[in-house]
Amino acid sequence: MDLNLSPEDRAFRERTRTWLEANVPRTELKTLEERRAWHRRMFDAGYVGLGWPKEYGGQGASPMKMAIVADEMARANAPAPINGLGIGFIGPTIIIHGTDAQKQRYLKKILSAEEIWCQLYSEPNSGSDLASLRTRAEDRGDHFLVNGQKIWTSGGHISDWGILLARTDPHVAKHKGISCFLLNMRQPGVEVRPLKQITGSAEFNEVFMTNARVEKSDLIGRLGQGWEIAQTTLGFERGGNSIARVTRYASAFDRLVEAAKKLKRGGKPLLEDPVVRAKLGRVYAEMEVQRYAALRVLSMLQKGDSPGAASSITKLSYSEFEKRYYELCLEILGPYGQVTDGGLEESSLDVDSSSGVRSSWAYAFLWARAGTIYSGSSEIQKNVIGERVLGLPKEIRADRVKA
Amino acid sequence: MDFSFSADQQLLKNSARAFLDEHVKPAHVRALWDDPRGESDTLWKEMAQLGWLGLALPEDAGGSALGLVETAILQEELGRAACPSPYLPTVLAAMAIDRFGTAAQKSRWLPAVAGGGARATVALMERELDWDARSIQTRADESGGKVVLTGVKQFVPWAHVADVILVPAAAGAAPAVFAVEPSAPGVSVTPLTSMDPGLRLSTVTLDGATVPAEARLPSSGALEFLLQRGAVGAAAEMLGAARRCLDMAVDYAKVREQFGQPIGSFQAIRHKCADMLLDVENSFSAVYYAAWALANDAEDGPLAASVAKAYVSDASRKVCGDAIQVHGGIGFTWEYDLHLYFKRAKALEPLYGDADHHRELIVRRVAR
Repeated sequence: MDLNLSPEDRAFRERTRTWLEANVPRTELKTLEERRAWHRRMFDAGYVGLGWPKEYGGQGASPMKMAIVADEMARANAPAPINGLGIGFIGPTIIIHGTDAQKQRYLKKILSAEEIWCQLYSEPNSGSDLASLRTRAEDRGDHFLVNGQKIWTSGGHISDWGILLARTDPHVAKHKGISCFLLNMRQPGVEVRPLKQITGSAEFNEVFMTNARVEKSDLIGRLGQGWEIAQTTLGFERGGNSIARVTRYASAFDRLVEAAKKLKRGGKPLLEDPVVRAKLGRVYAEMEVQRYAALRVLSMLQKGDSPGAASSITKLSYSEFEKRYYELCLEILGPYGQVTDGGLEESSLDVDSSSGVRSSWAYAFLWARAGTIYSGSSEIQKNVIGERVLGLPKEIRADRVKA
Repeated sequence: MDFSFSADQQLLKNSARAFLDEHVKPAHVRALWDDPRGESDTLWKEMAQLGWLGLALPEDAGGSALGLVETAILQEELGRAACPSPYLPTVLAAMAIDRFGTAAQKSRWLPAVAGGGARATVALMERELDWDARSIQTRADESGGKVVLTGVKQFVPWAHVADVILVPAAAGAAPAVFAVEPSAPGVSVTPLTSMDPGLRLSTVTLDGATVPAEARLPSSGALEFLLQRGAVGAAAEMLGAARRCLDMAVDYAKVREQFGQPIGSFQAIRHKCADMLLDVENSFSAVYYAAWALANDAEDGPLAASVAKAYVSDASRKVCGDAIQVHGGIGFTWEYDLHLYFKRAKALEPLYGDADHHRELIVRRVAR
């Protein structure tokens, strides 16, 4: 056991920090073009596609270096690169399952954010039971014709392309009849409608496909291999940014402590209230444990081991913690935590954001509700942990009985 | 960076597991529960031979000069066995003597501990439930080249078998720690009966107890050291108890049938088991991060020790309790072994700084 960073990684952290200090935009990125430009700047400096193999334009960097960049970006409050999904897992999926022609056509433009990507998986009636999806892709000889509806499409409104799961064979078991495609979002048969969330913002969309066209050459893998491919993709989604996530929690904790020094009860700062102190101590301990656990997973990845189904533990752990965390913040701050405009500067979440984006406790509190639903709800994670990590017997399921 | 055990550490863990599975079965634990002394001298000598007692002590004292990670590995395994043994307080006191003691104190106690000839403990509590050094009521007064100790120490683990007790006492401006032999005049040890008969507690009364001036540990910082390392040791032991309870619950859920199915196929049970695993894995991360950080004098070592004790106290209580719930009625019987581990985890909760105290220490460190 040795939890020190190697001298090489320490130097890399220093370089990254210096670069970010000099380059993080000082004002809020408002337009798509400004966001694309920031992505380009990071890409040109070698901070995008770190984990991609060098032959595809990446850096072939270690998981540790990726974690360092994510962590330093969190520390510097840097805006994320615009093509996060493309970089994070759609590109890697094409690298693993795509043809040479697909790699040639798509990868470079993902890295440079020339083309922005989204994920077309969830449907209104297929959430946790994703394999029950109904969007159909019919073979029309020289192309596929796609009809159906997707939901929870993050970044759908700015995307040029989407990675799509659609049913190609309704007559086999539901997991076996799904195929994976690359769908051009810029065509008449694709309509994107923003989906306003409980936060009041609309990061997600609904996507309606009516006789949308997919070229034969844009099938990923074999027909019927879609479910298997989706498992790889979902695997990329779990566990990657854990350390950076804790760094963001920690900076929110510092803001909370500052607020607790200034807000008073009974003439004394909240920070001197024993009940408040007990709550702060409890949540800080939990937050630190998230950090230790993230280091443990990182150490595994660094050695080339995959956490496998155990990554469900990571996802369950941080997403449930995040809910408790912001619940506690709002509990301590009272109405100050719910005011999103016009409140006291000292009680707001993110006043000195270098990117100029003013975040609020209320937004963080509301957004935390998403974490235990997206990318496999907590209940699904617990099923996975129970079955695949602990080896408990599978439940009797109506759809398995029929099949 | 590497969070995994080295080959040697893994070997230590495996051999400890194998030894305890054979020599400290639940039947042995129960026999020691009924034993007036509560621990086995044969077992103690075997631990010495295995090198467990001198694990973190210097080689010239008969130890192996390893660190807190290795000690935590053994403590986890001892917790997993609910082993009735003064291992934790003995090793803790010996490490403090090694770090803060005089040459004479070291040569008197360290080889004896490593060789299995001596047991030691630490007296960190008094009548008030307060862990702050400034609340210590026991006084140490110098008198004619001797020190006279007056006060009552409560809930001292394994004091009735200890050959030396580390006693913090107010001595002038700051508290100091004294190595007190129970045979000294004015020292009396009264065993208590407690919920976990595998972790014996005593009241130690110092009624003008007279010890030589050389009994004082000369360097300062011993009290914080004892609390931090004791916290990590206790957390490791609680982790072991929790892991055992989880394993038993999962095994049981696979075979126990109700409504014609194994109960582990019901989400109500499966999800509980998944939550238990989450708590156990996070506890593991907390214990070994803290052990590593303290052993390597990392800046956040003391913070991590408090995090580990605060987190694992809550997590292990919950896991061990949920294991009883998964078992249902059988888990509530004396005959079934679950309560051995449930009680051990609970017994360690209020020792070496309870979770409330460690949470307060965390806030003092991070919110100034």
